[in-house]
Amino acid sequence: MPKFRYLVIPISFIVGMILLILPLPEWVRIYRPDWLALILIYWSMALPKRVGLWSAFIIGLLADSLLGTLLGHHALALVVITYLNLNFYLRIRVLSLPQQSLYVFGLLVISQLIISWMNGIMGLTVPVQAVFGAPLIGMLMWPLAFVILRDIRRKVMLS
Amino acid sequence: MTQLQQQARGINLQALLLISICIGLMFVDHRYNHLEIVRSKISLVLSPLRDLVSLPALGGEWANEWFTSHAELLEENESLQARRRILNAQLQRMQVLQAENTRLRNLLGTSRKLTDEVIVAELLSVDQNPYRQLIEINKGTNDGIKTGHAIIDDFGVMGQVVHINRYSSTIILISDPDHATPVQFIRSGVRSVAFGNGNTDYLELRFLPATADIQIGDELVTSGLGGRFPADYPVATVVSISEDLTHGFVSVLASPKARLNSSREVLVIKVGDLDAEIKQK
Repeated sequence: MPKFRYLVIPISFIVGMILLILPLPEWVRIYRPDWLALILIYWSMALPKRVGLWSAFIIGLLADSLLGTLLGHHALALVVITYLNLNFYLRIRVLSLPQQSLYVFGLLVISQLIISWMNGIMGLTVPVQAVFGAPLIGMLMWPLAFVILRDIRRKVMLS
Repeated sequence: MTQLQQQARGINLQALLLISICIGLMFVDHRYNHLEIVRSKISLVLSPLRDLVSLPALGGEWANEWFTSHAELLEENESLQARRRILNAQLQRMQVLQAENTRLRNLLGTSRKLTDEVIVAELLSVDQNPYRQLIEINKGTNDGIKTGHAIIDDFGVMGQVVHINRYSSTIILISDPDHATPVQFIRSGVRSVAFGNGNTDYLELRFLPATADIQIGDELVTSGLGGRFPADYPVATVVSISEDLTHGFVSVLASPKARLNSSREVLVIKVGDLDAEIKQK
């Protein structure tokens, strides 16, 4: 087991990607929480030495390929929020879950703004509720993601 | 310099590097076609994931088929047989007309292929970028599909192939805001371009001259200009015409014939090879 315990990180990202492309009804699609970002925020907060900017970059490229967006589109958003997270994680780790949620909301809005901005440059119209809706749902999902990932991490004794 | 400061500096440099790589990648991907290979490789690695995600939908279909009663199957079979008979009857006349058409074209000295090579593909139930109109099908380069091939369903043109890997490909629908379809009005022969606007119910035809002969209910077919879509496939029906009197233009809304939202099975027409076009240039 100790040999393979680091596998839980890639597996959690694979689950995130499945949630990213899971078919949803048309009208809820723009409110889909950015699970990849949540998982990335968690790991870069818990294990900043293992999961950092390069992981964000690669996960972002994979997401771009899955969603059919320009290569680098989601990668840019994820790299930026991981960078911010790597600067702040020491201060955020000690906060309570609701307080962390607010911080996560901020990061998700920044990521969504970057994605929407790029969409805008390419002439796609992005509804305002998408910019704040999806991060809001993501914020509500943060405690869930946090507790699940923390329990898994403790179970396989990663630190 | 303390260790912490050194770390921070390393992170800053890395972030700067990666952000510029991302921006560079996006620029190259937007303007040129060089990254298509990289994309198809990544996409190939991720194709088990897509299959996994569309498994429940497939399972549902399979269970549905399995539990259909004998009587229902018989009924369906009968109605299909009847439909086939009608279509065959129509086809007989079609063949005569086709032969006549070829003969006349030969007389005129023009040549045009009337039948195109077609393969059947199924949609994968995975979601794509919510702001684009993209779908994913289960056929790829292994089945001879290339970027630029046209996609139709039983009712009309759906879109064209934009990204491919070995086992699946991504289709851009005609309703995507980035897509334009060269069309022609059957009744009057007026040619135009139908733009998508992100809504599967309407295509837009902008800047038609106010004197153009257009009526509500007119049928639009592909004009074959641009070489991407083969000519004469049904595209849409005109549903509204609005005149912009100050500029002397009319803009037309047309509803697509193809069921862009609900078709599960599509046909890939193997004409319009984008790679070959690019190489020629």
